[in-house]
Amino acid sequence: MESNKKYWKGLEEFNKTSDFVENNKNEFAEPLPIEDVLNEAGLSTVTPRRDFLKALGFGLGAVTLAACQPAPIHKSIPYLIKPEEVIPGIPNYYVSSYNGQSILVKTREGRPIKIEPNPNSGEFNCGTDAQAQASVLDLYDVSKLKAPVLKNDETTWAKVDAFVAAELAKAKASGKKIRIISSSVYSPSTKAVVADFTAAYPTTKHVQYDAVSYTGIIKANENSFGKAVIPKYNFDKADLIVSFAADFLGTWISGEEYTAQYVSNRNNKSLAKGKMSRHFQFEAGMSLTGTNADTRIPVKISEQGPALITLYNEITGGSLAGGSLPKNPTAEKAIKLMAKELVQQKGKALVVCGSNDVSTQILVNAINSAIGSYGTTIDLDNPNKRYSGNDAEFAEFLNEMNRGEIAAVFFLDSNPAYDVINVKSFTDGLSKVPLKVSFSDRKDETSTLCDVIAANQNYLESWGDANSYEGSYSIVQPTINPVFNSRQAEQSLLIWSNAPVKDYYQYVRNNWEKNILPVLGKTWNEVLQTGVFASAPKTAGSYTFNLSLAAVAPSVVKSSSALAKDIELQVYESVAMRDGRHANNAFLQELPDPVSKVTWDNYIALAPKFAESLGIKEFDVVDVKGNNGYTVTLPVLVQPGQAQGTASIALGYGRTKVGKAGDNVGKNAYPFVSFSNGTLQYATTITITKTGATNELAQTQTHHSFEGRNIIREATFKEYVKNPAAGTGKHDSEHKTYDLWDKYEKPGNNWVMAIDLNACTGCGSCIVACNVENNIPVVGRDEVRRRREMHWIRIDRYYSFEEGDKSVSEEKEIAHMENLDRVSVVHQPMLCQHCDHAPCETVCPVLATTHSSDGLNHMAYNRCVGTRYCANNCPYKVRRFNWFNYWNDSRFDNYLNNEFTQLVLNPDVTTRSRGVMEKCSMCIQRIQAGKLSAKIAKRPLKDGDIKMACQEACSANAIIFGDGNDPESEVSKALRSERVYYVLEEINTQPGVGYMTKIRNTDSLPTVQA
Amino acid sequence: MSGHNESILREPLITGNDITYAKITDDILMPVENKPNRAWWIGFIVSLMGATLWLVAVSYTFWNGIGAWGLNKTVGWAWDITGFVWWVGIGHAGTLISAVLLLFRQNWRNSINRSAEAMTIFAVICAATYVVSHMGRPWLAYWVLPLPNQFGSLWVNFNSPLVWDMFAISTYFSVSLLFWYTGLLPDIATIRDRATGLRRRIYSIFSFGWSGNVKTWQRFETVSLILAGISTPLVLSVHTIVSMDFATSVIPGWHTTIFPPYFVAGAIFSGFAMVLTLLLVARKVLGLENYITMFHIESMNKIIILTGSIVGVAYITEFFIAWYSGSEYEAYAFINRSTGPYWWAYWMMMTCNVISPQLLWFKKIRLSIPATWILSIVVNIGMWFERFVIIVTSLHRDYLPSSWAMFYPTWVDVSVFVGSIGVFFTLFLLFLRVLPSIAIAEVKLLLKTSSEQAKLAQIKEGHLDKVHVKEYVESLEKFDSVKQEEYAKI
Repeated sequence: MESNKKYWKGLEEFNKTSDFVENNKNEFAEPLPIEDVLNEAGLSTVTPRRDFLKALGFGLGAVTLAACQPAPIHKSIPYLIKPEEVIPGIPNYYVSSYNGQSILVKTREGRPIKIEPNPNSGEFNCGTDAQAQASVLDLYDVSKLKAPVLKNDETTWAKVDAFVAAELAKAKASGKKIRIISSSVYSPSTKAVVADFTAAYPTTKHVQYDAVSYTGIIKANENSFGKAVIPKYNFDKADLIVSFAADFLGTWISGEEYTAQYVSNRNNKSLAKGKMSRHFQFEAGMSLTGTNADTRIPVKISEQGPALITLYNEITGGSLAGGSLPKNPTAEKAIKLMAKELVQQKGKALVVCGSNDVSTQILVNAINSAIGSYGTTIDLDNPNKRYSGNDAEFAEFLNEMNRGEIAAVFFLDSNPAYDVINVKSFTDGLSKVPLKVSFSDRKDETSTLCDVIAANQNYLESWGDANSYEGSYSIVQPTINPVFNSRQAEQSLLIWSNAPVKDYYQYVRNNWEKNILPVLGKTWNEVLQTGVFASAPKTAGSYTFNLSLAAVAPSVVKSSSALAKDIELQVYESVAMRDGRHANNAFLQELPDPVSKVTWDNYIALAPKFAESLGIKEFDVVDVKGNNGYTVTLPVLVQPGQAQGTASIALGYGRTKVGKAGDNVGKNAYPFVSFSNGTLQYATTITITKTGATNELAQTQTHHSFEGRNIIREATFKEYVKNPAAGTGKHDSEHKTYDLWDKYEKPGNNWVMAIDLNACTGCGSCIVACNVENNIPVVGRDEVRRRREMHWIRIDRYYSFEEGDKSVSEEKEIAHMENLDRVSVVHQPMLCQHCDHAPCETVCPVLATTHSSDGLNHMAYNRCVGTRYCANNCPYKVRRFNWFNYWNDSRFDNYLNNEFTQLVLNPDVTTRSRGVMEKCSMCIQRIQAGKLSAKIAKRPLKDGDIKMACQEACSANAIIFGDGNDPESEVSKALRSERVYYVLEEINTQPGVGYMTKIRNTDSLPTVQA
Repeated sequence: MSGHNESILREPLITGNDITYAKITDDILMPVENKPNRAWWIGFIVSLMGATLWLVAVSYTFWNGIGAWGLNKTVGWAWDITGFVWWVGIGHAGTLISAVLLLFRQNWRNSINRSAEAMTIFAVICAATYVVSHMGRPWLAYWVLPLPNQFGSLWVNFNSPLVWDMFAISTYFSVSLLFWYTGLLPDIATIRDRATGLRRRIYSIFSFGWSGNVKTWQRFETVSLILAGISTPLVLSVHTIVSMDFATSVIPGWHTTIFPPYFVAGAIFSGFAMVLTLLLVARKVLGLENYITMFHIESMNKIIILTGSIVGVAYITEFFIAWYSGSEYEAYAFINRSTGPYWWAYWMMMTCNVISPQLLWFKKIRLSIPATWILSIVVNIGMWFERFVIIVTSLHRDYLPSSWAMFYPTWVDVSVFVGSIGVFFTLFLLFLRVLPSIAIAEVKLLLKTSSEQAKLAQIKEGHLDKVHVKEYVESLEKFDSVKQEEYAKI
């Protein structure tokens, strides 16, 4: 059935006209204008069909391609509920404590980004060391564990707890020993946790050991005075300091604190009062402290014992055997003269010794007693609690393990598989322990050998406390939620011991409220705000040494003579790397050693003449074989001031499992340490053989003498007393200077700086502080070797050599000197001088570096095209060029090339792209913040409102920053000092940074110069 | 004979027999109108490889950053600015020849000015690549131009010698290019007239419709003179300004008032050496011995010995002043130059620039092509070392010994420099293929045909003194190797 109706579309169809019929045969009834389009006119129409299709196709393709590129996703997640105390852009500060230093943690939007010394900590405010400054980077270390590990696999805490609880139950049932191995614990709460754990598992013993041990001092004091403590040393009360190889300004016990004390008798304020302490240093390797000594005499390690005996005999008139230094007449002569001075300065003198040998330290106690140090410069009644390691107990623990007596071991804050002297004995013993738990935050040398890694938290995520000195307590409080699935070690122990309070915060608080707050008379909230409190110190008792030295002296002589063969090796803690626990911290790896200026490696240091006699040149790679057979291959560094016949190697290097920055940097020197007479000894004898290879160490400074140039100006104390301007080159009549340039108007502030060369010890914590504050990239060993380190502030270290009465500082004369043992060292912090007539400013083609109206030399990164002309024309060579995109280039992935670690960046300071010049900005962001807060408070800026990062970190207060327009500001006062000079002032750069002359208190010992 | 006012006979500037205008055109256009010979191909392929190396090295630098070079915190310029100053210096001979010698009516320049000026332009191109590639952020290189911008009223720093440099180099390049191209117009027209097809169309466009009528020639002459007048100060100013990059700084060894004249002399010195290096080969390969004659070679050698001696005196003066000034930094900089870790560079410079050019006092050596060619290369090696010594040895040990450092080049440094030579020769060889390497129109001016014919007529008519005629005929044969009768045939 034909049901579909036919509709016609037009009359043509209805009528079936012939045209229609004809056309309807074609596919397209109406003619298409193909000819028109294809002829010339058609093709030149604006958009022919084909072109349109092409354009359409291209457009689609292009859009598709463009859409395929992952657009950068900026993860900025707003607060759902804004915390009351967090204002974006405004930092919050929390008090805490790090390694005995009272600190402020600066957090921005909930993340800690900077460590600053706690200004409210009163007498405990003594700056921060490089480790504290760098510690903020440890929090953002990608090498950390993200969850606990059970049998090498990441797991949950529940599984870990179940496993450990079961194993502990077995251990308890077996009645075998349980050991907690830790470095010294001086946190009262941690100690209480350990005590609780011990109560739950009575076979537990807490063994404390320190990789760099102070057991010798503790045992000696126990022996001499019945007090097993490290005393409180008062370097500020000592007018005469004699140190036998104690690097007390650097690594010895509490360097930052001692630096503050030491400098208080030597800085500009003290000098203005006509007072300056004297400091003798007798040591084998050139230490940071040695570089600051007024008189430094190189003595072999084997001569230190005899030297002390000589000193004792001279002071007391005693006649102990062994007190002679036949091969070192200079030292012997110096000791004899010094002894007289020590007796004269009775009660105001201090002798310290870096040895860990009990007998040696007893001898030192006897000397100190003879010169009346106890009760004045040494305080045994308010002792230092930072170190309580016991080498013998740890040695016994190794034996117990090897005998299979141990059922469970917990490693807290310790890494014996790396730093124990005999790794094999440790690992063999450990394999016999059924339950091995490490509280490490990463898979390190020890924790990889353990069944459980109960990932610990960074101190910035933790609760805790510290009792550095008798009666002084400080708090550790978290500044960020734990980043990973980690748990504080103390909490783990509480859970495993099934304590009634398992939350560690509550535990700490309870402990404080019960035991500490009543003593201090403070409340918990006050503690959280102020950070550190001390009860009134006990009166320092005067102790007298009255034991016989009959057994002591021969022991000293014996251990000394054991070293007096082959080449004597001293292994020491380096200022940057310390005992090696921070090896994965790129800031510390790139912090130049204060003395050798070497980064990213350890080395064997030999005296120049001694190396020459061995036929060894600098950077030769040698095999160093210890008398126990341990061999390492290390490059040689020629170190002026190193005692002849001795060598030094830094500890803390050669980590194999610490993370990407620190793995296999340098060589491990711990196996050179030996155990004798109940303590660890950090000296041994070695033989050296050349391998024929060379390895250029990455040094930030490769020329070491100042060539007699007046960039360094110094005077002796005697000259200074006669004329405070001695050595500055100032004349009575100022000569007229002429100027091509206009003077800058500085109507408001004039930011200037004063640096006291007599206060600066060269420790380098300012460098790390600056790195962290200003997002300065770490560039790595190869780039440092190419002389491209980025540090905005550096410490120039120059050697000069004494010959007769004159000082030799020119390379070509030094090359001809016979005796290079008498070295003087000066440290000069060098940073952008913010010259009023800055050579860099005139040469920049694009005005990227300009002068501000408050005396600063600005650098506009965005404008910089990178001609490097400014750096060439900078006479101070303080400008740093971004040769690569260091912070975001996989070839320089030391630490920062991941989103997590980038959280450490200071949001107030931009990261610089490649091809841009940068340099010290005088912490312009801090100046701005200071100005703003004064403005908000509607008051003028006060002196001290604004502090530079370097200034803040400096324990010695060597750096003073402030407004030069304010005549009453600290810096104005400092710059009015007679000692002030400006580096390269003769080229009329008009620097904004004044330096104060280096003063050496060497006069009263003219005859020492043998 | 008294009373005759004829100028002293000179050696002819174009040698050879049967020289006619047509022959000149044929000779000079031979390489342009024919397929290249094997020597050209070998040269071109080697140069192109060099240019490719340059491209690779510069791209590598752009991709990775200036860190690819061996520079460091102390030595911020080394091979880059050494190369830059070297190339700019080389360019100077071209301008001196084309402009200064034109103003002084030194017609002998007509044979060499075209190539020398082409060399100038290519050398300045090479120098300009360094200006851009040495920047940390080369994509922003235009910021050194005082362009209106959206950054507010942000101008360049008119105090900065780098800005002066930018003006000097860009002016120099534009004026040189203009001068060179103006001179090329009649020659391009000549090629156009002889060519057919596409070549004719192309050369037709580039000849700017040159018609060759009197008015055109007159304007041509005027423009040439004006441009010569503009270029002449540039010969002095460009390298003076380049020297100010150093002279206005505070770095010992840079901060020296002697630099401007010393740099200009050095530039001309190296420029002439480069002209010799190029033309000694080109005249042989392209068969242009009749146009670039021993006279040219000797003249240029004389200029080299003069400027080389000026440079030598400057070196000695610097040393004297370093001592006489009593400035310890300055004194150290110079002692360090000659005896420090880069002593070899200093003595290389002294040998190549001061000692070896003294050999040119001997006429035999001045007239020996191999000796001249070797010396010309030695001079350019010496001049490279001069810039290296000034830049690197001054920077590497300046004021604070703590920052003293050594500079070690990387493969990229070396490749950029070697590659820039490749770029230069590639451009130069292409130039030889497409444009006349000798200014045809200007060389034709040197042909004395008409005056010689007039002379012939005078002799025939017996107006001249016989002694004089004899002397004239003899000298024609002696110097021009032309028999007088030959003029009759023309």
